Amino acid sequence: MKNIDRIRNFSIIAHIDHGKSTLADRLLEYTGAVEKREVEEQMLDNMELERERGITIKARAVRFVYKADDGNEYILNLIDTPGHVDFGYEVSRSLSACEGAVLIVDATQGIQAQTLANAYMAVDHDLEILPVINKIDLASADPDMAKREIEDIIGIPASDAPCISAKLGIGIKDVLERIVKDIPAPKGDSGKPLEALIFDCFYDSYKGVIVYIRVINGALKVGDKVRMMHTGAEFEVVELGTLSTFSLDKKDSLEAGEVGYFTASIKNIADTDVGDTVTLCDRPCEKPLPGFKKSQPMVFAGIYPADGSKYGDLKDALDKLRLNDSSFTYEPETSVALGFGFRCGFLGLLHMEIIEERLEREFDLDLITTAPSVIYEIHKTNGEVVYIDNPTNYPDPATIETACEPYVSATVITPSEYVGTIMQLCTDRRGEFIDMKYIDTNRAELHYLLPLNEIVYDFFDSLKSKSKGYASLDYEFKDYRPSKLSKLDILLNGDIVDALSFIVHSDRAYARARKICEKLKDHIPRQLFEIPVQAAIGGKIIARETVKAMRKDVLAKCYGGDITRKKKLLEKQKEGKKRMRTLGTVEVPQEAFMAVLKYDDE
Amino acid sequence: MTTNKDLSLYFHIPFCVKKCEYCAFYSLPRAGEEIKALYFDAIKKQISFLPRERRIISVYFGGGTPPVLGVNRLCKLVESVVSGFRLSDNCEITVEVNPGTAGAEELKSLRAAGFNRISLGIQSADDAVLTRLGRIHDYAAAEKCVAYARAAGFDNLSADVMFALPGQTAEGFLISLEKIVSLGPDHISAYSLQLEEETPFYSKRDLLDFPDEDVEEAQYGSLCGYLKSNGYEHYEVSSFAKPGFKARHNSVYWDMGEYFGLGAAAHSFFNGKRFYSSPDVNAYIKKAQEGLFAPTNYEEAPVTGKDDMAEERLMLGLRTSAGATVPALKKDAAKRIARLGYGTFDGERLILNDKGFRVSNAIIATLI
Repeated sequence: MKNIDRIRNFSIIAHIDHGKSTLADRLLEYTGAVEKREVEEQMLDNMELERERGITIKARAVRFVYKADDGNEYILNLIDTPGHVDFGYEVSRSLSACEGAVLIVDATQGIQAQTLANAYMAVDHDLEILPVINKIDLASADPDMAKREIEDIIGIPASDAPCISAKLGIGIKDVLERIVKDIPAPKGDSGKPLEALIFDCFYDSYKGVIVYIRVINGALKVGDKVRMMHTGAEFEVVELGTLSTFSLDKKDSLEAGEVGYFTASIKNIADTDVGDTVTLCDRPCEKPLPGFKKSQPMVFAGIYPADGSKYGDLKDALDKLRLNDSSFTYEPETSVALGFGFRCGFLGLLHMEIIEERLEREFDLDLITTAPSVIYEIHKTNGEVVYIDNPTNYPDPATIETACEPYVSATVITPSEYVGTIMQLCTDRRGEFIDMKYIDTNRAELHYLLPLNEIVYDFFDSLKSKSKGYASLDYEFKDYRPSKLSKLDILLNGDIVDALSFIVHSDRAYARARKICEKLKDHIPRQLFEIPVQAAIGGKIIARETVKAMRKDVLAKCYGGDITRKKKLLEKQKEGKKRMRTLGTVEVPQEAFMAVLKYDDE
Repeated sequence: MTTNKDLSLYFHIPFCVKKCEYCAFYSLPRAGEEIKALYFDAIKKQISFLPRERRIISVYFGGGTPPVLGVNRLCKLVESVVSGFRLSDNCEITVEVNPGTAGAEELKSLRAAGFNRISLGIQSADDAVLTRLGRIHDYAAAEKCVAYARAAGFDNLSADVMFALPGQTAEGFLISLEKIVSLGPDHISAYSLQLEEETPFYSKRDLLDFPDEDVEEAQYGSLCGYLKSNGYEHYEVSSFAKPGFKARHNSVYWDMGEYFGLGAAAHSFFNGKRFYSSPDVNAYIKKAQEGLFAPTNYEEAPVTGKDDMAEERLMLGLRTSAGATVPALKKDAAKRIARLGYGTFDGERLILNDKGFRVSNAIIATLI
């Protein structure tokens, strides 16, 4: 019954802010999948946070019908992709579920780092790429420049690329026609053993995990016994169907070429890894689909409740978040300074910020986060190799043969005028220059090998501020390289604060130590006694600042028996204390921890 | 009920000649004769609502500047208290006076009407400083006022002194203090200037040359040292007294004694409850005309719980040289505070010293 030739599975890929979500909205509106008034801004990004940040964190998919000029009705499955460098693997899985990709290029900005990264990824997945030039309504738009760049840099023809304004709804039909004409129909055989790719999943408290799949071969029916080929978990399908804009549409079966969902009373999201292959227990396919990777956290940080008694709440919140995001990990850890908390692993810094914000916003928690750390590979003198994601566990330097740190290969695209500053930035952050080419007379593409450790500080922020927001970054893990590393301890009033320790390249230890001591001095309020703030490597103090004792904190008058002012002051002090952590005898506000996370060059 | 407790009375007179540059208290400058007369009637009305069965141990007329209400009116009010209530033998009856707002005759009348203590807003002996503060008098007026007060028979006289003032050096303050002490006040209230929002000082704070913390500390040091060597006891954060001259009325506040406040913006602590009248003269007058002085007609302060009382006791007690009993769970903290040199702790009671008084907010915060 189902005609596989009338299915088109595609993604929209773009650099951030080039108009991906807006175009998605217009396609849905144009085909009547949603009424215009239903369109909450960019409905594909349905998490509040995503909307605010203008980025898509989790992939979503939607199916809609388009009646083309050839008189036929086509089923279009739009598979959305996360739009940030931290989520490269998730993007690649979404692309694997498609035959084509609409590549949006902003006519005012041309190609940017993520345009390239995403386009290359689409090429790697043998997708048909349909270039689209967006924002032609803007005065500074230069569609010809954008087309030329696509041809010159990515190497795909773009002379007849649709020129559109997603914002104003110009050229939407053109895009739909081209999707139908240029993007190939899926190939697949519903008669073969089931091969279905999991490209996303999320947790629903009634149905359990809802698994988003693309059926490559074979067919899936309600009641089928399925196996996840990598995790080995087996389930019986309870419900399946396709994905409309605001709901799940129940169906009896999903066949080759189709995109849809199934549920199977899956309690644990860890059983459904993105990229895994679903097959039938009694008639399995030969081997899983290629490209599966277990998603690996790259950045680690301790997350603690600001108020120690909220540990239970934090745990509940992490449990709940994890239901929808299997890419972050957490396990309990204890800090002398901060008490009970969790060591959390993230795909990258942005991912970390998103989780933090969701914890604070959706679960109303006040958090203290320790400085993010990468995983160090330590070769010990006894031949043992250990991986360290928490500075507290850094081995005694005497037992270390070689310490290695992770490097990434990074691509920066920047207007030419900032090339000098950005090269300086990369060099400052211990980057190793690979090559540079000019995309056109105005923009250059720089390749560097950079220690991930440097990126997890504030490389991205510095890059943006040094290029007035124009430079873009993309990176992927390269390898571990031997490095000169030191563990830097921070002492307050003579006591090491374990939560403030971090691992740093030896050449930068002094500068970093001084900076952090200064920052702590500025952020720790004066107390009843003088507080030395010191930084040490091993037992050796390498930097010191002093928080002087407070000299005046008194309300002179209690006038006419009005003690309300004094009470208010006291209440304020009590409130303030709630946001402080007592480390030994020193009270340290949350901001002090935050300040240590960010260091700047000024 | 605690009706057999002693009681103190506070009268708030929210009128003054001119607001000082630093003043954030509720006070109306240039109020007309009509509103003053109405305010006087209103207070008289409120007096008639007061309980008569409790013994009165102190009475205090503060402001503003009370004589601005009219010395005759003040006399009538105090007379109605003296004649209408049961007063303790040594009942302290204070009136605040600004130099220049009461002459020799007026002070005599006030003394005769029943006031036996006068609190003089001298603030500084440096005329340049006084001008900068927006005070209406110079130092010569203060000297005269002290002489008149003594002549009128006030044998309990307190002087207000301020430090940490714009343009005031450590030496300048000490010279000023020496001059004021030479006038022989029995009691001195010394305040460091507090920069309050919504004052002229606040809006031009960047133009004012406030002493840095070294200078302020030196001023505080010489304040405590000089007054001690002249026989004054530092018995409360801002209060110094010759033997026998501690302010009885203020001590009521710090000892959690009960007091009833009369007038707009006046606060009360009565029958275990804290409440107050809103700082609005017209509203107060209206309330009086309608006879709305039942306990339920006051604004209630937001605290009356048991914990709050304990906290208040600690917070107020630590202001004084008698100190406060520290809760069992906070004894280690109190020990530490003593060890850091802020006072003495005998295992029960923490008593702050001069250094401790200066940071008493922070100390209290560690104990609650």
